[in-house]
Amino acid sequence: MVSIATARIKREFKEVVTSDELTKCKIKLELLNDNFTELKGEIGGPPDTPYEGGTYQLEIKIPETYPFNPPKVRFLTKIWHPNISSVTGAICLDILKDQWAAAMTLRTVLLSLQALLATPEPDDPQDAVVANQYKTNNKIFVKTARHWTNIYAGSTLAAEPEFDSKVKQLIDMGFDNHKSRVALSSHLWNVEHAIESLYN
Amino acid sequence: MVLVEEDRSKSENNSNEKNADNSQYECNICLDTARDAVISLCGHLFCWPCLHKWLETRPNNQTCPVCKSAISKEKVIPLYGRNCTDKKDPRDKVPPRPQGQRTEAPRNNFFGSGLDGLHVSFGIGAFPFSFFASTFNITTENRMPAPAPGSTQYAEEQFLSRIFLIVAIIFIIWILLA
Ligand SMILES: [Zn+2]
Ligand SMILES: [Zn+2]
Repeated sequence: MVSIATARIKREFKEVVTSDELTKCKIKLELLNDNFTELKGEIGGPPDTPYEGGTYQLEIKIPETYPFNPPKVRFLTKIWHPNISSVTGAICLDILKDQWAAAMTLRTVLLSLQALLATPEPDDPQDAVVANQYKTNNKIFVKTARHWTNIYAGSTLAAEPEFDSKVKQLIDMGFDNHKSRVALSSHLWNVEHAIESLYN
Repeated sequence: MVLVEEDRSKSENNSNEKNADNSQYECNICLDTARDAVISLCGHLFCWPCLHKWLETRPNNQTCPVCKSAISKEKVIPLYGRNCTDKKDPRDKVPPRPQGQRTEAPRNNFFGSGLDGLHVSFGIGAFPFSFFASTFNITTENRMPAPAPGSTQYAEEQFLSRIFLIVAIIFIIWILLA
């Protein structure tokens, strides 16, 4: 018997693939297996945000109880955002938790995630460090987020070369590339503080 | 040749239109054509099994899956199409669809027609006899759809017609004595 989850994903998949609106919004969906339980999503960073020009890969897992329970979604592409963990890619978004409704679809989820990139909610954070930076040092937050978009999401816009040279400094000391970037990003690009945190 | 192609494009158009029409009647949960359809007070269409499962998933926060307005099992209306196969389909896992609520349309009831009879009687001046007759009429010939014997309505009408009969007889006796 075909489960309601499988039947629905099949329909939704068609809907996303054939929709012009979604190609305009730079949203893609790809099947990873034949039983429609794992998909790969892709959203483009919204214009006029630090994520502009970036392309974000998402891991989508469909529970057996879908659509009565939300899909499990996580960012595979690293991103600097108050509501997305810079370490695991876990997302804090109400519709993926208690505000889920059975009439929502993968299309609405992907569009909501794109909207989340445009309007972070620092008061309901997933990554406390990023959220704090967003609120107290917004200029550095924007620069850092843009830097991450450039490094991890393939954007060719403003690269912040001085950030790169700082990361290189730490790599030369023997630290891991990504860990160095996280440490610097978390400490307002202060090299000493970053090194201190890496030693702890 | 040209004709055949035209026909084909016509039939394609038709099937497209059909699909578009059907999509209006898709369940908002399974996205398939709604079966055992019910509609919420906010106007959203679902299969009853789908909606029931949704309401069961979150018993403490029952909201419409589309517009999130409050919703409950008691407040959905079943939709019956012409070829309703309702009774042929046993739904073991899901309780039967909520019943449609039937409200009786207003109509002339017993009291209404009884008083009319009274009025006419006064008008022609042969009040007691016509009254007597009209009282009897009710018991012999059914002017209204007959209530089922044994129902409370049936019992009430029997009771009332007896009272009228008694009143009429007392009236006649009184007139004869006077
Ligand atoms: Zn349904
Ligand atoms: Zn609704």
